[in-house]
Amino acid sequence: MENIGETTITEVIKEAAADVQKKDTGKRIQLIIFKLGSEEYALPIDQIKEVVLTPRIAKMPQTPVYIKGVANIRGSIIAILDLEQKFGIEKQEKNNSGATSHYTLVVESDTYKVGVLVKEVPNTLTINVIEIDRASNFIQYSSLDESCIQGVVKSGERLIILVDMIRLMEAENINSTVAKALIN
Amino acid sequence: MGKEQEYIEIFLAEAQESHEKLNLLFTELERDNTSRKAIDAIFRITHTLKGNAMGMGFSEIAEMSHVMEDVFNEVKNGKLVLDAELFSSLFRANDILGELIEAITSAKQVKYKGIKTKLEVVLRNHRQNITSEAAQEGLETIETVKSDDPVIVQENHNSTGGELVLALEDLEETQLSKVTISDTVQVPVRKLDALLNIVGELIIEKDSLIAKYTEIGHKASEFARLHRIASDLQYGVMDVRLVQIGFLFNKFHRVLRDVASIENKKVDLILEGTEIEIDRNVLRIMSDSLVHMVRNSVSHGIEKPAKRLEKGKPEHGKVVLRGRNEKDTIYIEIEDDGAGIDTAVIKRKALEKKIISEEYAKVITNDEILLLIFEPGFSNAEEVTEVSGRGVGMDVVKRATESIGGKVEIFTTIGKGTRFVLTLPSSMAVKGALLFELDKQEFAIPLTYTEAVVSLRKKDLHKYGKGLVTSYLGKSISLVFLKDLFALPNLASIGLEGALHKSYDDLPAEAKLDVVIVSYAERFMGIVVDKLLQQKEIVEKNLNNPVDKNDLFCGATILGNGNVCLVLDIVAVLRTFYMEKMRRQNVAA
Repeated sequence: MENIGETTITEVIKEAAADVQKKDTGKRIQLIIFKLGSEEYALPIDQIKEVVLTPRIAKMPQTPVYIKGVANIRGSIIAILDLEQKFGIEKQEKNNSGATSHYTLVVESDTYKVGVLVKEVPNTLTINVIEIDRASNFIQYSSLDESCIQGVVKSGERLIILVDMIRLMEAENINSTVAKALIN
Repeated sequence: MGKEQEYIEIFLAEAQESHEKLNLLFTELERDNTSRKAIDAIFRITHTLKGNAMGMGFSEIAEMSHVMEDVFNEVKNGKLVLDAELFSSLFRANDILGELIEAITSAKQVKYKGIKTKLEVVLRNHRQNITSEAAQEGLETIETVKSDDPVIVQENHNSTGGELVLALEDLEETQLSKVTISDTVQVPVRKLDALLNIVGELIIEKDSLIAKYTEIGHKASEFARLHRIASDLQYGVMDVRLVQIGFLFNKFHRVLRDVASIENKKVDLILEGTEIEIDRNVLRIMSDSLVHMVRNSVSHGIEKPAKRLEKGKPEHGKVVLRGRNEKDTIYIEIEDDGAGIDTAVIKRKALEKKIISEEYAKVITNDEILLLIFEPGFSNAEEVTEVSGRGVGMDVVKRATESIGGKVEIFTTIGKGTRFVLTLPSSMAVKGALLFELDKQEFAIPLTYTEAVVSLRKKDLHKYGKGLVTSYLGKSISLVFLKDLFALPNLASIGLEGALHKSYDDLPAEAKLDVVIVSYAERFMGIVVDKLLQQKEIVEKNLNNPVDKNDLFCGATILGNGNVCLVLDIVAVLRTFYMEKMRRQNVAA
């Protein structure tokens, strides 16, 4: 019995090791990590075109509050979003929103190009795709706009929220279309 | 350059390109004679070329590409195998095709029947093989084919298809293939757009550079050369995008004929100013609208022949399509000598359709009545006809025109006819704009919509209902503080109590106000801004998702200082205000 127990334990250890290895060889993606409020958020690096110093933003009346306006980034005029406001994150220590968001992440896909305000220079992190916890229950209970969260990445002590920009933009599109329909 | 010549030039450019492509594809196919992609492409190209050539009346090219198409149809279906011999024939055929295309301009005689027949023979032989038909029948077919070709007539009687092919080969080997390069380059509009965008940025950079250097004491004249080169470049690129308006106008002969025959009317189309040049994109956007308007002119404007005679007019009605330009503005006029627009009828219709209220109908002016035909859902025709549709026409015309910063006007005299005037920018890239400041930020209003700039005092303004009024040239016009408008959550909420009085109430009595009088389609309005800046040429860019649905702005531009300047959508603002006015009157009624 003892013997059997021992082998089982070794097997388990082996299996675990194999598992770790599998994880290592799994598909890896690089994320751009940025802070919103006190939490860390991430976007896949291939969606980020560049990080620039936030240019002067032209305010645009009659748009949702989290759209800060439009700015000139390398000759193209793009909308600048404040995801802290979009997600309803309280600005605790900051009293002036515009002055502290020094950097803008330029996020680009086939259908849109927007700027996302961030306070600090974002850094990168390489993770395994399997590390992304997609179907997590806690998202539903959070105050965040759940439709825009792709999943949560656990990396050691850190817990990083992966933002789904495409869905965020689509949701925005629908909202404004509905709003427009209501007006008419 | 004549229109015919222009079409030929386009055909030539296309045909030459097809020819080059075929050469490439044949070479590719020779390397790998099973390449599905190449076979399909050749089939498609020859087919298109055949169609185009037939349309232009170049029967030789049509015949040649037709037989090549046939060969490739067989190849495509996997029935005919491409071997070295067939390839050499095909290359030869393509060379001849190239010569034929060239012969359009050089008027040179090209012998093409030989190679054409050769391919036909290959086809026949091949078909014979698969259908296993009697040799005799096959021979007959060959004979019929050959009889129209004098070159090979004597070989006709005693040789089989195979020998014939050889004989023909000798005959044609004497001609050498040549490389031709077309004199025109086809450029996708997308590339031109990109180029124009870059030029736009150059202009912005130039302005910002000049602005910076003049600040530190340099003279603007030091940059005259840069200025001139940049603007030459800009106009050069814009010029490439221009097409003659006649290009579009010529298509209307057919449109008019069709409508006239359905409506049993006799109408002549007269084209004027076909040589005026206009940006291709402007023309593309306006083409559907023009079709609508020409149809309308015939359907609603021109009377039936009997009625015309009765009125002492010539039996044939007249529709004039006229292009003219004034500086950077293009006017397209659609004029008919028909019945004119009866405002009484329009008014009655608008009332029936509840587009206007009874109250409003009492005070409405004739000019305002005419504008009603641009309202969505309005169709003036007594009954809906096959041609004029269901009132989708004129509001679409108006929207298309506005979308590119133009406007539509109507001039009509009962019994004499109607004239629609479309005022369009010659280019969509650059437009004049008036810049102003509000809340330390720059905004622009397109000059097309600015009527005047005036300075007013608070005492010139009066509260009127929920809004404000002032007088301009003896007329009372609505006035709005842009600040108040911007403070609203959306344009639809301008009806909110007191929203438009806020800035007025806060204003000290002696304050002086900068007011821009804007107008569109006989509707005037004053817009109060913080500070007027300057008049400037701007390169307007579209707003992208997620801010493209904003009602207040139609675009944005980048200023010399690198700042983004939003362009106010005057048409939308005016429309909202007047909708509100109509609604109020409806409620009152």
